[in-house]
Amino acid sequence: MSIKITNLCKKYNDNIVLDNINLEIKKGSIFGLLGPNGAGKSTLVSILNNILNKDSGTIEFFGKDFDKNTSYVKSMCSFVPQTYAFYTDLSPIENLEFFAALYGLKGSILKERISYCMDITSLHKYSNKKSSTLSGGVKRRLNIAIGLLNNPEVLYLDEPTVGIDPQSRNYILKMIKNINKQNNLTIIYTSHYMEEIEYLCDDIAILDKSTIILHEKKKNLLNTKELKIELQDNTIKTFDVTNSYDSFLNFIKEQDSIKNIDFKHKNLEDMFLELTKQDLRD
Amino acid sequence: MLRYILKKEFLLVFRNLHAVGVLFIMPMAFILIMSLALKDTYSTQVQTKLNAVILLSTKSTAINSIKEDFKKNKYFNISIAKNEEEKKQLLYNNKNAFLVKIPNDIFKKIHKKLPFKINIYTKPDVQQDKLALFQNLLMKSISSIYIKNISQSDLMNNNFDFDNSIKTNYIYKNKDFTVKPNSVQQSVPAWLVFSMFFILIPISNAFIQEKNLGTSNRIKSINVSLWPIILGKMLPYYIINQVQVVLMILIGMFIVPKLGGDTLVIQGDILNIFLISSTISFAAISFALFISLISKSTEDATSFGGLSNIILAALGGIMVPKVVMPEFMQQITEYSPMAWGLQSFLEVFVRGGSFNDFSHYLVNLIIFGFIMLAISYTILKRKNT
Repeated sequence: MSIKITNLCKKYNDNIVLDNINLEIKKGSIFGLLGPNGAGKSTLVSILNNILNKDSGTIEFFGKDFDKNTSYVKSMCSFVPQTYAFYTDLSPIENLEFFAALYGLKGSILKERISYCMDITSLHKYSNKKSSTLSGGVKRRLNIAIGLLNNPEVLYLDEPTVGIDPQSRNYILKMIKNINKQNNLTIIYTSHYMEEIEYLCDDIAILDKSTIILHEKKKNLLNTKELKIELQDNTIKTFDVTNSYDSFLNFIKEQDSIKNIDFKHKNLEDMFLELTKQDLRD
Repeated sequence: MLRYILKKEFLLVFRNLHAVGVLFIMPMAFILIMSLALKDTYSTQVQTKLNAVILLSTKSTAINSIKEDFKKNKYFNISIAKNEEEKKQLLYNNKNAFLVKIPNDIFKKIHKKLPFKINIYTKPDVQQDKLALFQNLLMKSISSIYIKNISQSDLMNNNFDFDNSIKTNYIYKNKDFTVKPNSVQQSVPAWLVFSMFFILIPISNAFIQEKNLGTSNRIKSINVSLWPIILGKMLPYYIINQVQVVLMILIGMFIVPKLGGDTLVIQGDILNIFLISSTISFAAISFALFISLISKSTEDATSFGGLSNIILAALGGIMVPKVVMPEFMQQITEYSPMAWGLQSFLEVFVRGGSFNDFSHYLVNLIIFGFIMLAISYTILKRKNT
């Protein structure tokens, strides 16, 4: 286990942002953290990155107490924020040099690491251009490249594909999968794009209204199949055939006026909307 | 339609409290500070009199008569001191604006129509209009003695040169200092200090951009001490401040005289200028860090930082020289970091002072800088843990 969160709580004044969060994140997995806006995802990620303090609860990080081993935790993690968290007036190489130095890298190790990160993210072509002139996709890649400089054990990616074209998005998703496989890197991935989470993640948690409302392995979650039966009188009956196939069969036997049967393989978005309801959030 | 356009504009203006704050608070602060600072300049009621001392070796009726004449004026307090007393001590430590040495035998010389010499000793940063006023009052007093002591026929045939009988001597803190007081010598230090404190604008812009882009959060998540980050922020701006100092001094030395102004003359130890500019820079950058950290946006930092700088400048004698201000405003000046910087520079540029003459100002600036830095560090640290 790389991270174990127990009864974590966080309040801003009287507003509870995280309420008794319990999570376990497996080493080497890609962990998808989903949730509507204002659910508390960013707060949780900020706490895990030592940007914010928690109010109560415990975090175990690779078997060590998170609070007592801040330097160790920081040296093992890397945070890639949703924003372009680098200096747009500097070139990618200048940005990478600056952040590599902050990570304590020096001399030939610094150069090698920068070169490796640029290889992975295909940044060499843009290394000396002013970052503000780069396209959204290249900026996103630079954002991730900076996050890889310290060769982290845990990488936090906060919506890393926002606002980019499908080609860049596809490239970044494949790149993340490769990094995870090659380095056995634990990745905590937040996104609003359900198909990205479906594609990338091994474990998925949905955070809503300050609590974890679902934490499941993707393979279990996406095996759910749904059957919708529409009767002659337009009433619709829905069955989860993965878990209640018998009740579905019994129901069919009793009906003589079925208008339509619709089989649906439930995707993550359906589940997300079902669990978090469809009402708009703040 | 116009109704909604106006409504939108009013709502935008009044929801931008910083802009409104600058629009209202700045003129209010200026009216208050400037009215008080220039109170004596434009008022017929002078509240702060300058101190003048008549230097005396023996008692003299002539001098008593001059003293009595001076008592009637509303600009100067006159007192008597022994001739042997150290002039520098009387001017700088005892806070006198003028010393005047009148020959004891002035009556005799007047009777015999012999030339005499009256010496006025003053500080190089004295207001020239006050000096002229003092000279005129002195001449008026001596002329009345002169008129009383000579016959009407002598008076009619008089060709006595009063102008050349009064000599003004500037007393500098350093006896080797010979720079004549002029406007450039006074104004370059003032605007130099002011511009150095405006380093706040680029610092806060950079800081807030980091905050907005999430770069500061990224840095917080990295296992790095705060001190190299703070030092890394301070050093480049310190260098920029020093370049400002060199450039502005060069303008005073070479550009202003080309345009018909006086020439800035640098005398004494250059190291003193470097020490002062470094200390001002430390205080200004620490203050800028503090403003950047308490500001939420660049607009906040620009309006609050700009406003506080202008008020510190007005209070610190940058906009209105300290010597023009009434006594109580001069005392308030003592609390402005810009005044500490300015007075340090004036010691070197105008008064020919040594390190001991401005060291207490540097101590004030260093304490101010450290307090600002400590608060900034605490704010950064609090967010960091």
